[in-house]
Amino acid sequence: MKFIKDQKSDESLDLVCRMCPMHLLEPGDKLKCMKKGQVLEVLTDYDGALEDIPDWCKKCGHEFIGMDEDDDYYRFYIKKKK
Amino acid sequence: MNGAYLDNASATPVRKEVLDVMLPYFNEHFANPSNVYDIGSEIKQVVEEQRAKVANLINAKPEEIIFTSSGAEANNMAIKGVAFARQKKGKHIIVSSIEHHSVLNSVRFLERLDFEVTFLPVDEHGLIDPARLSKAIRPETILVSIMHANNEIGTIEPISELAANCKENGIIFHTDGVASVGNTQVDVNELNVDLLSLSGPALGAPKGIGALFFNKGVRLMPLIHGGIQENGRRAGTENVPGIVGLGTAAELVSRDLPGTENHCRKLRNRLVNGILDRVEKVTYTGHPDKRLPGHASFCFEAIEGEALIFMLAQAGIYTNTGSACASKALKTSPVLGAIGIRADLAQGSTVFTINGNNTEKEIDYVLEKLPPIVDRLRELSPIWGKEIPEYEKDVCAH
Amino acid sequence: MYSEKVMEHFSNPRNIGEIENADGIGEVGNPVCGDMMSFYINVKDNKISDIKFKTFGCVAAIAVSSMVTEMAMGKTLDEAKKITKKSVAESLDGLPKEKMHCSNLGADALAKAIEDYENKK
Repeated sequence: MKFIKDQKSDESLDLVCRMCPMHLLEPGDKLKCMKKGQVLEVLTDYDGALEDIPDWCKKCGHEFIGMDEDDDYYRFYIKKKK
Repeated sequence: MNGAYLDNASATPVRKEVLDVMLPYFNEHFANPSNVYDIGSEIKQVVEEQRAKVANLINAKPEEIIFTSSGAEANNMAIKGVAFARQKKGKHIIVSSIEHHSVLNSVRFLERLDFEVTFLPVDEHGLIDPARLSKAIRPETILVSIMHANNEIGTIEPISELAANCKENGIIFHTDGVASVGNTQVDVNELNVDLLSLSGPALGAPKGIGALFFNKGVRLMPLIHGGIQENGRRAGTENVPGIVGLGTAAELVSRDLPGTENHCRKLRNRLVNGILDRVEKVTYTGHPDKRLPGHASFCFEAIEGEALIFMLAQAGIYTNTGSACASKALKTSPVLGAIGIRADLAQGSTVFTINGNNTEKEIDYVLEKLPPIVDRLRELSPIWGKEIPEYEKDVCAH
Repeated sequence: MYSEKVMEHFSNPRNIGEIENADGIGEVGNPVCGDMMSFYINVKDNKISDIKFKTFGCVAAIAVSSMVTEMAMGKTLDEAKKITKKSVAESLDGLPKEKMHCSNLGADALAKAIEDYENKK
């Protein structure tokens, strides 16, 4: 896993407390409305996201930039590639 | 036979216009809204339309509404959902001492999980003083829950003022709107709240449906885990007929409310003035003005509430002693205790709740029947006309 | 919730009122708990010649009081002492469980009235 600090983002999605697989569905919808090259931040407390989000980025052709950890949730950063 | 149904806070009939719209969703339009094929996504569309109607009733956005099974579930979801989502920030919660059981028992459950709860006292009318709330706030306070209107005494709390107090301190504010939504105008922006619970039956929708308004940005730990219905916040296949019922009822209430409110207030005033004129030694409980338009609550001296309810029922008049659970459990109402009503007087608590279906004729019928029934029960009562000595509370066997 | 018999006694309670200068008076309960009963008896030839009651309480409390006065009227004191919570409840075709304890005070009130009479003698 790639850990990063102070990553800037254009949009943010708060999915803390939401059930699986909302951490994949909502970013999918959100990225559709974003421009190529923009960065999306995803907040989630779901441990499964540690594997899911990088895999999902690969499958969908987006770039997984890395992640950061907060007190009670994770921050994932995705760059829209297509 | 003559009669009057004045227990609308307990249950209301599903409105005919509502039932008609609901019925096809039991069989004809039965598909699961989670399904992606056409008949599923059509139902999903219908559910989303209802969400918008419910949102419109309280001036919220559709994505800020979660459908629940009841007002009680909405209250549970608000209290436990926020508490579990924010417990790392702090474990202190403030509620009023006159909340509904679904709020009180939720926070009592959280106390067992090491949350700390402050129960705010109320004045003799049931009002919370905003200054008192400010004093109760601590750095570790995460949630405040104060009901919009009280079901037993009808008092409407100064929610916007109370909520402003919390917003400044980054505290989530929830209000239980079960008694108010449908009976008086409710606007979540005016109230300035983060969460508001409402219940279907109060609007003329069926039992088994309610909703929670939540401000975008409020994190809620789900109570029911499973699939991703309600945007991953509440699992379980949607109660589509119930949701259609709630949406349709909300639309009708939005249209009719100013008129209904005036109608109820007029009947309520007729009832209150009539009773106070005709019956001696009776206390009108709750706030005289800041109260629900169709709500009238009294304590009749030297009479026990259940006996009065049953005798009124024999005359075709349906009322309540306050909270249905408390009367069954034979407990004196904590709400009446909180507003300082003497324990023996609290036994004679009777609540009338009027809605748009009630008529002046019904009120006049009550005014004709009630005084002789009160007289009859007082004739039976060994304490009528006598000085009540100071009884100690702990002499009660139960 | 209540048996027909309970509702009948509640709707038409027997022997309501007070007896002036009664031979015995028994009072139980208190209004804070929501149930209070006062029983008045007159005794002649060791028999209850008259009995009256006043009750502040729920449907069950009123029906129980009425039933107890009916059961005790004309009975010898020994017979009247045998009236129990259980026999009262049975005569009413049963009472809801939660009412057995707090509203079924009639037999106690009667016993107190008899005791009061015997103490005065």
